[in-house]
Amino acid sequence: MSSEHESFEQEAKDIEEAVFSGKPFFSRPAGKIFIIWLVMTAVGVLIGIYAPHHLLTTLHSSAGSDVWATMVFFTVLAAPVAALVYGIAFYSLIAWRHRGNQEEPPEDGPPLRGNGPASILWLVTSTVLVVVLLVWGLSVWSAQQVSHPNTLQVNVTGQQWLWTFSYPGTGVESRSLVLPVNRPVEFNVTSVDVTHGFWPAALGVQVDANPNTTTVIRATPNSLGTFTVRCSQLCGLYHSFMYAPGSVVTSTQFSAWLQSEGATPSSADQVARLASS
Amino acid sequence: MTTAEAPALLEDTKLGPRAGGLYRRQNIFTGLGLGILLGFVGWVLSHQFLQGSNWGTDMVVTVTMVGWVLGFNIGMGSLNAPIRWLLGHDQSYDDELYAAGVEQGKARYWKFCTDHKVVGTQYLVLVMLLFGVGGTLAMMMRTQLITPHSSFLSANTYNAIVSVHGMVMIIATIIMVSGPFANFIMPIMIGAKDMAFPRLNALSFWLIASAIPPMIATFFLGGVDAGWTTYAPLSVQAPAAMDAFSMTMITFVLSVTIAGVNTIVTVFTMRAKGMSLTRLPIFTWGTVVGSALSIYAMPALLLGFTAMITDRVTGTSFYVAAVGGTGWLWENIFWIFGHPEVYIILIPPVAAMLEVASTFARKPIFGYKVIIAGFAAISVLSLMVWAHHMFTTGWAPDLAGPFMLTTELISIPTGIIFLCIIGTLWKGRIWTRLPMYFVYLFLWNFIIGGITGIYLSDVPADQYFHGDMFVTAHFHYTLLGGAMIAATAALCYWFPKITGKMLNERIGKVAFWIIAISIQITYFGQFWEGFQGMPRRVAYYDPIFLRANQMTSVGGYLLMAGWLVFLYAMIHSIRHGKVAPANPWHAKSLEWKVPTPVPLVNFLVDPVVTSDPYGYGEPDPEVAAGQPGIGDPEQELVPTLSSDHPTAGGES
Repeated sequence: MSSEHESFEQEAKDIEEAVFSGKPFFSRPAGKIFIIWLVMTAVGVLIGIYAPHHLLTTLHSSAGSDVWATMVFFTVLAAPVAALVYGIAFYSLIAWRHRGNQEEPPEDGPPLRGNGPASILWLVTSTVLVVVLLVWGLSVWSAQQVSHPNTLQVNVTGQQWLWTFSYPGTGVESRSLVLPVNRPVEFNVTSVDVTHGFWPAALGVQVDANPNTTTVIRATPNSLGTFTVRCSQLCGLYHSFMYAPGSVVTSTQFSAWLQSEGATPSSADQVARLASS
Repeated sequence: MTTAEAPALLEDTKLGPRAGGLYRRQNIFTGLGLGILLGFVGWVLSHQFLQGSNWGTDMVVTVTMVGWVLGFNIGMGSLNAPIRWLLGHDQSYDDELYAAGVEQGKARYWKFCTDHKVVGTQYLVLVMLLFGVGGTLAMMMRTQLITPHSSFLSANTYNAIVSVHGMVMIIATIIMVSGPFANFIMPIMIGAKDMAFPRLNALSFWLIASAIPPMIATFFLGGVDAGWTTYAPLSVQAPAAMDAFSMTMITFVLSVTIAGVNTIVTVFTMRAKGMSLTRLPIFTWGTVVGSALSIYAMPALLLGFTAMITDRVTGTSFYVAAVGGTGWLWENIFWIFGHPEVYIILIPPVAAMLEVASTFARKPIFGYKVIIAGFAAISVLSLMVWAHHMFTTGWAPDLAGPFMLTTELISIPTGIIFLCIIGTLWKGRIWTRLPMYFVYLFLWNFIIGGITGIYLSDVPADQYFHGDMFVTAHFHYTLLGGAMIAATAALCYWFPKITGKMLNERIGKVAFWIIAISIQITYFGQFWEGFQGMPRRVAYYDPIFLRANQMTSVGGYLLMAGWLVFLYAMIHSIRHGKVAPANPWHAKSLEWKVPTPVPLVNFLVDPVVTSDPYGYGEPDPEVAAGQPGIGDPEQELVPTLSSDHPTAGGES
C-alpha cells in the first residue's frame, strides 16, 4: 500500500513538473496561465482605476474622496486574486477539457490530493492582503473620527417622511441642508418616530436616525455643489419620498442663507465668522 | 461497481390491515382541515375574549396562526407516535413501515412520511415553489421599477412585496440544499438507512410547509412594510401582517433547528462500518457545519421574534425606544442570527458543488482537510461578525474596528475554499456536463460577490454603500450567483438519482446560458444603481437612476425566463427523459452504488467502507466490501431492519 502510494505521489510530482518546467516558459501550462493572469490583472487594475470615478455620484467631501480611494485601492488589490482564479478556471476549460464522447467520462485525472506549499503560499498571501486592507480601513476610519475645532453643528431630525436640519445658535430650521465649504461639520442625528437612515451620499457618510437617541457623524465638505440627502433605512409607506436637497456653498453665501432663513444678523454673523476663520 | 437492480422488497411487503393506525386516515387534507379548524377556533375564542384589549387585532391574528400551525401538524400526524407512547403503547414494526410510506404509492408524498427520500423530495418541491413565489414577487418589483414613478403597485403593496420577497428567498435558500439533498442524498452517502430521527425529519418538513400560508397571509393583513429585516420600531407598529410574519419565522426556526439536530446526529451516529470521519464525503461535512450554525443562530431568531410578538400583543416594549426599549436590541439579535445565516445558506451548496467538481474533473478533492478546516474557520468567525450590518446604525462606533477585523478575516478561509476548488480543477480531465457548467458559473459570480463584500466590510466605504442597491447587488451575487448556482449544480448532479431520469442537457444548457448572462446584466445594473446612490427598498426613484434600473429590470425578466426554461428542462426530463442508470457520472460515493430508484432501506446489504470516495486515478481499493444489491435480500434485509433501522425501535 505504501509503496503504491509513493508511486502515485511520484506520478503527481511528475505532472506538477510537466506543468511548471519545460521550455520555453510561455509554452508550459504555467506560462500560459501566467499570461492570462497578467492580462486579466491589467484589465482589473484598469477597471479599478477608472470605473469608480465614473460610477460614483459627484462627491463633495473628504470622506467621499476616501470612498473613491478605497474603491480604487481595493479593486486594484483584488484584481490579481480574481485574475488568478479566473485565469486557472479559464485555462482549465480550454486546455484540460475532455473532448470527444461526452456520454462517457474521461479517464481519471492525476490524484493530486493537495499541495502544502501552494496552500501555505495562498494562506500567507491572503493574510497579508487582509492585513493591508485592515490597516487601510482603520487608518481612514480613525482619521475621519478626529473632531476638529471650529466645527459647525447641525442637528438632523428624521420623521416620516422628511428631514429637518437645524443650526444651533441661529434658530434656523430648514428642510434643506446647506453647508459652508471647507468647514468640518458634526451632524447630530435623531428621529421622532421610527428608524431612518441619514444619508448624504455625496458627503460619503451615513448614520441611522434612531428615536430617543442621538448619533453623530462628521464630514468636511470640500467642493461647491448640490446633492441629495436620502433615507437609507426602510421607514414605512413613503420611504421613497424621504429626501431633501443639500448644497455646499461659500461661507459668505452660507451666512446670507442663514439670515434669509430668519437667523438674527448677530447669530448669523457669529456662525459666518467661525466659518471664515 | 454493481448496479444490479435490487428487488423492491419492502414495497411488496404485505402489511397488516391495521398497520399504521391513525396514519392510515391522515394526509394533507386532514392536516389542512384540522389546521383551518383550530385556526378558526383560535379566531373565534380570541375574537370573543381578547378583541377588547389594546392589542385586539394582533392577539386575534397571533392566536389564529398558532391554531393553524398546531392544527395542521397534528392533523398531518406529527403527534401520533408520541401520544401513543404516552398512552403506554408503541408503534409496531408494521406501523413504522406504514409511516415510511409502504403500500401508499405516490400518496406518500402527501402524507407525514418518515422515509428520508420522500422528505427530501417534498423539500425539493417546496423549495421550487418558494423560488417561484419569491421570483414572481421580484418580477413585480422589477416591473414597478422600470419607470421612476410607476403606478403599477401602490407604495404599501411594494413594501409588502419587498419584505416577503426577502424572507421567502431567505427561507428557500436556507433549505434549498439542507432540505432536499441533506435528506435524500446525505444518509445514503454515509451508508445509513434513514435519518437518525425519521419522525422529526417529517415534522421538520411539515412545520416549514405550515409556515408558508401565514407568510402569504401577510398580504391580506395589511402587508409587512418593514423589509425582511423588520427593523423596530417600524415593525412593532406594522399592521397585523407582522404577527403572521412572526409566526412564520418562529415555525421556520423550529423546523430548521429540528432538521439541524437530526442531520448532526445522523452523521455522527449512523455511518456505515468503515466510514470514518476522514472518509466522509465533503458534502456531509458541509451539512454538518451548516446544521451546527443553524443550532447556534436560529434560537436567536426565535428569541427575537418572540419578543417582537410580546411587544406587539402585550406591550413589553423590548424594541420601542419611546417606552424604554431600543431598536438596536432587535438589530443585534437579528444579525446574530443573520450573519451565521449567510453561511448556513452558503456552506452546504458549496460543499455539494465540491463533490460535483471532483466528479467532473475526475480528480480527488484538493485539500480535503483544508476544506474542513476552512468551513470550521468560516463558521467560528461568522459568529463574530454580525455588527458589520450595523456599521452605520450609530450603535457602538468603537466596535467598528473589531468587527471590520473579524469580517475581513473571513475572507481568508473563504479564499482557501477557492484555492481548493481551483486545485480540484487543476490538471483535471474536465468533463463538461451540465453540472460542471454551474461550477464555473459559481466561480465567476462568487468572486464578484466576494470582492464587493470586501468593500462593504470597510467601514469608510460602507458609510457610502450601506442601505443602497450596491448591497443588494452584492448579496444577490453571493446568494443567487453563488449559493443558488452551486445548489443548481448539485441539483443537476443528483437529479438522476432522485428522479430516476437523466436531465435533458440540451434544454438545460439553454437555461444555463440565459441564467449566466442575465445574472450579470441584472446585478451589474444594481451595482450601477448603488454607485450612483440609489437607496434600497424604494418604490419610486430619482430619474437619474433610470438607465440602471431599466438594465436591472430587463436582466431580471431574462433571469426569470432562464429559470423557467430550467424548470421546463426538469419537467420534460421527468416525463420524457432517458431512464438514468444507477451511476451515470461514474462517481465513487455510496449514493451512486445503490439502485435507482433507491429502495426503501437504501442498502439491501450493509456497505463496508474502505476509503474515501475520491480515489480518482488511484487504484480501486474495493470501496464496498459488501456490495449493495448482492446476496439474498430476503435473508439479509429483515434482520438488519429490525435491529438497525431507526424507525424500528421506538426512538421517542
